[in-house]
Amino acid sequence: MHRLFVIPTLLINVSIILIPALLTIVLAFYRWDGISDPTFIGFANFEKLWGDRIFWKALKNNFIWTAIFLVFPIAIGLLAASLLLIIKRGRTLLQVIYFLPMIIATVITARIWQGMIYNPQNGIIALLNQYGFELRDPLSQTSTALFGVAVVDLWHWWGFMAVIFFAAMRQVSQEQIESARIEGANYFQLMRWVLIPAIKPTIALMMIMTVIWSFLVFDFIYIMTQGGPAFSSEVLSTMAYRKAFYELDVGYAATSALVISLFGLTAAFFYIRIQNKEGVE
Amino acid sequence: MTLKLTLLAGVFAAVTTAQVAMAQEQVTWWYEAANPEQQAALSEFMIDKFNAANPDHLLTIDYRGNELDRQLRIALLSGTGPDVVNTPGPSFVATMARAGQLMQLDDIAAKMGWNDRILPFFMDLGRFDGHLYALPKTYETLGLFYNKALFAENGWTPPKTLAELDTLAEAMMAKGIIPFGSGNSGWRPANEWQVSIALNSIAGPDNVQKALIGELPWTSEPFVKAINELDKWWDKGYFGPDYFSLNGEQVMANLADGTAGMAPTGTWNFGLVPEYFKGRFDDVGFVGFPSGEGVSYPIYALGIGSTFSISAKAQNPEGAAKVIDQVFSESFYADINNVWQGEWNVPLRDLSNVKLSDDVIPLYTTSMAGLATAVNENQYGYTTWTFLPPATNSYLVSGIEEVWLDSLSTEDFLAELDKIFQQELAEGKVAEIPAR
Repeated sequence: MHRLFVIPTLLINVSIILIPALLTIVLAFYRWDGISDPTFIGFANFEKLWGDRIFWKALKNNFIWTAIFLVFPIAIGLLAASLLLIIKRGRTLLQVIYFLPMIIATVITARIWQGMIYNPQNGIIALLNQYGFELRDPLSQTSTALFGVAVVDLWHWWGFMAVIFFAAMRQVSQEQIESARIEGANYFQLMRWVLIPAIKPTIALMMIMTVIWSFLVFDFIYIMTQGGPAFSSEVLSTMAYRKAFYELDVGYAATSALVISLFGLTAAFFYIRIQNKEGVE
Repeated sequence: MTLKLTLLAGVFAAVTTAQVAMAQEQVTWWYEAANPEQQAALSEFMIDKFNAANPDHLLTIDYRGNELDRQLRIALLSGTGPDVVNTPGPSFVATMARAGQLMQLDDIAAKMGWNDRILPFFMDLGRFDGHLYALPKTYETLGLFYNKALFAENGWTPPKTLAELDTLAEAMMAKGIIPFGSGNSGWRPANEWQVSIALNSIAGPDNVQKALIGELPWTSEPFVKAINELDKWWDKGYFGPDYFSLNGEQVMANLADGTAGMAPTGTWNFGLVPEYFKGRFDDVGFVGFPSGEGVSYPIYALGIGSTFSISAKAQNPEGAAKVIDQVFSESFYADINNVWQGEWNVPLRDLSNVKLSDDVIPLYTTSMAGLATAVNENQYGYTTWTFLPPATNSYLVSGIEEVWLDSLSTEDFLAELDKIFQQELAEGKVAEIPAR
């Protein structure tokens, strides 16, 4: 009887996750414009993907994006969380300030950076150029476009990491922290030997989630550069979107979406393994 | 007692209104993004007038934002969606019509007299496999806006040939003026305005037409020459240093203050002229883009902003036909163009009875008259967003950036473009191109 309680969740999951996922897999073997009848083409979409230079560029950009987000927000988040732990006053206010960018709508954050910071005619970059700097809009250069968008996403993201890590650090026993201090541990030693080992499962979870999120990244890139200029900031999700909704090649878009899922599944596999390991321990 | 009476009267009024509404058949229309002033104009000149003239119908317009075409495709695929279907252009209509999602309009057109009222060239663009499926909402063109005051100050005249253009652009750059005010930050497909200009004014509209019907590959010499010329302008800096950072409004602001001398862009920008040339309408000019060797001047590349169709699953096809009929009326043309220029240039055959308000900038009226003459004299070309099928056009938008930024050669760009186009042509995704 108790199994009946699973039914509502199961129904939701089947209808909004399993069926679309299976349809995506099926569509990857079809040529379909999203309007007329689909045509079965076997592995042609996969062959095309293999030889598509834009796909490889997008995949490379996804890896670069993942590397950036595995390092910077986690490092900044850990630093900010540990500082929050050390200071005694103003913690709540600082947490609110850290978290604030997360609650601003993505499109607003993106447009503010694009129009009021990066813009070479009326942004902060224009102001700095008036004082003798020779700065260019990073979004307009192929060498910097991806990093230009990553900075904006980082700005909005690191506070979330800081708050998560701070919550984890607060679970560390105060006695352990105090005794380390009494033993003469400095900040780095405290981090290295006490705090980081204590919150390791949280860090591992965040890193795995970062991999998944990085392969799903879409919003900031789509709003700020749409993958340009010259595909320099294209990632798999913007490519899939372009294929499905601009080029009406839904089958090919489904194929690239499968690649995104592949990386997500790999990350999920490691997450489950860690969870199981923790359960055993 | 008075309170009871008032309440009773209120209930009676509410019930009567509800009954009237139930007796009326709703006509649904999804529209793209429109600002509050534009929505107010549509309410006043379309909804209110339609509902007053057609008491059996109740028109509602739902503003769906910039992703209208994606929403429409999904809705029509699932058998829902609005009665009046506003597609982004003929190439989308071709696929939708062939998938049976749109109603054939031949009988309605005959009954409503659309064939006599609308320019035949544009009617033909809505025909597929011998049947009419769509009517063009607005036609637009590309040309060269220029700062007349700046030109007068420097003794410059608008160029008519590529050689004159080069001389003028060099003179502007020597004075620190950007020759081509342009940018794609707000609208990445702005790239295709430049490509459309190059293809039509340098390769020539006859060659473009041959390519569109599959008689000439896009890798042919005239197209190589056109894209090389466009690339040369980029390399020389005609588009300025901030092309990827500026949006349409900044471009117009730069043109107005003389930062840029010219702006190769479309007639929809007439909507921005009142804002940026406030009180000095005489300072802005609009001419055809200079033509290359062997191509007559001026060539106006024609575009259709969007089209009107009726959904095959429309709940109220009769009401939808009446809505479209109202769009193609002289009174609506005058009303809407008085307050919203550039977006409702409905291709009516005869505008002699249309009187626009004195507030409308004279340049808009004369430019539109010039465009109509050019179409009549076969001096028209083809904009890529109207005539190229979706995948080819999408590739063109990103691919030209690769040419400009030297990560792809002109030949490789055109080879890829041609490959995608030939596949879409074979799949019947190219709009039917009227004979010249």
